[in-house]
Amino acid sequence: MICCVRTPHPSLIAAWLMAPVLRGRPLVLGGYAHERGLVMVASNEACAQGVMPGMSLNQAQQFAPDAIFQPVDDQATARVRQSLLSTLYRLTPDVAAGDDPGCAFLRLDRLALRWPNRSRLLTVITHAVEAVLSVPPTIGVASSMFVSKIASDQAIAGTPVIVEPDRTAAYLAQLPIDVLPLDDDLREYLELLGLRTIAGLQTITRAAFRRQFGVKALDVYDLAFGIDRRRLALFKPPVRIEEAEPLEPPIDNTEALQFIARALAERVSASLLAQGLGTRALRITLHQESTAPLTIQVRFAYPVTTTGELFDGIRPRLLRASLLAPLERITLRAGQLEPAYIRQPGLLIRRDGFQESIADAVARLQEEYGASTIQRAEVRVDAAPLPDHRILWKPA
Amino acid sequence: MPDSLQQAITVLQSRFGSAAPRPAAPATPARSSGIAEIDALTGIGGWPVGRLSLLAGLRGSGKRTLAQRSVAVATLEGPAAYIDVAARLDPEFLQRLDARLDRLLVVRPKTLSQGMACIRTLARAGVDFICLDLPGTRATGLDAELPHVLHRISEAECTLLLVHDLDVDDAIRYYASLILGVARCGWVFGTDGDLEGLQVDATVIKNRLAPPGRRVRWVVPYPTRGMTPRSSDVQ
Repeated sequence: MICCVRTPHPSLIAAWLMAPVLRGRPLVLGGYAHERGLVMVASNEACAQGVMPGMSLNQAQQFAPDAIFQPVDDQATARVRQSLLSTLYRLTPDVAAGDDPGCAFLRLDRLALRWPNRSRLLTVITHAVEAVLSVPPTIGVASSMFVSKIASDQAIAGTPVIVEPDRTAAYLAQLPIDVLPLDDDLREYLELLGLRTIAGLQTITRAAFRRQFGVKALDVYDLAFGIDRRRLALFKPPVRIEEAEPLEPPIDNTEALQFIARALAERVSASLLAQGLGTRALRITLHQESTAPLTIQVRFAYPVTTTGELFDGIRPRLLRASLLAPLERITLRAGQLEPAYIRQPGLLIRRDGFQESIADAVARLQEEYGASTIQRAEVRVDAAPLPDHRILWKPA
Repeated sequence: MPDSLQQAITVLQSRFGSAAPRPAAPATPARSSGIAEIDALTGIGGWPVGRLSLLAGLRGSGKRTLAQRSVAVATLEGPAAYIDVAARLDPEFLQRLDARLDRLLVVRPKTLSQGMACIRTLARAGVDFICLDLPGTRATGLDAELPHVLHRISEAECTLLLVHDLDVDDAIRYYASLILGVARCGWVFGTDGDLEGLQVDATVIKNRLAPPGRRVRWVVPYPTRGMTPRSSDVQ
């Protein structure tokens, strides 16, 4: 069985995570109202006022004058998509991204071994997604991707729609033919034939359909019976991101080394941001002329993403590195990649990564310099009047 | 600024972006030092936010007492850090000044670069007030680190207060937006002959945010309950 998990558009979710007050209000994404541009996504409240994706922002403002207009945050959107897929991947590796944004498919066969009770399993999936994105998904379960997607469209949050394999044809029969991926010609032909629902299509034999519309249209015919031959293009979480820079001529001073390391950090950060990831381990390899390469490892207490965070981890170690020969190549590799949503909601606010929690910062500094470097003091009033007795130093 | 003017500027900014008119010099926010005389002396109401302030004076001049007073006040408003390179912080003294010690991070770095890295990280993390207590002999290399640190504290809107001897490097003088020189004028004795405090003379040596050259004199008691100026005169 295939399960389709659908959420609102990731850009909308990203906007809601950044500003929770926007929930329940008409929201139009694509740009500010005074800008030239098109509506990319609109919330249900805005759509209810007549706003549709694809219309101009100016027109959208006329339909919904009280709507809030914002540009789409591509990086935050990528993070939301990555978060959805990674969350489902933790449940089962049989996860695939759907064509529509905010849509993902799971194969439930392996999960059924762990959760024999299907309703319990779907509850687990719902809670897992809701915990990460703060939005309950709609879930459809069927024997194929196509039917499960339709089922998820008809489901409401918290109440999945399950289509048993033997009920697939009957379930589809009631639907209009518009749910099928028809091109304009085929739709026109079918309408001329008076076929407006899938039930009508199911009355035609496969051979007759083939004779009338050709072999290529047979895929549509099969879909009308719930037969979807597409395979899940399984999601594979990235393992590492690596950037390298050859140096010609070789460099031998730390200023240039820092400059190049920062440029590499920017490139790694851009890749991380695009995929919504953070790294817990950085490895910078300094290839020296006619000498063994020097490798520097940096570990972070939490997944970091931005250039500043990466470079702050690298810089002190670069300055301490003892170089024996000029460098001819620098490689920066980010490993232990994790979804950056772990730091939500702080990560998803603007200037993300700039603000980290003080506890995280202290943990990071203690990891680097030792626990005794950052302490808190406590005065014990009832102790003996000696500083060593009265003041209790504790690691922060 | 009148509301109508502010509204007009907002409209122009939304229409023309950076080409719109804007205030020539926005007022610099400040964090109170906890002593009204010092706040008045700086001209902006305390230590400037996002900038480096220097509290300079010879040993025994009372500069660390003032700094600890500022730290105590800062802990009442939010998280603060004390970079105790000199290992001279007295938490008991801070507690007498009603500081919230649970909000104070005491950093005791082994090297100056460690301390500066801690400042950068803590400022970015959201610590509002950082006091860097630096003995004069260990300031080597500070000039190279300061640009990075100042950029970060400016971004993070953090206040950095440096406690240092008078003979600071030119670089530190250059980077500091406010330099307050502190000198001891005399001791204050009680009626029973016990030492109760010291009289301090503070002068604004440099001020990028208000006119420099102001001077104030007041008494710093050695408190059991807190520090309250007994007399002051601003010249």
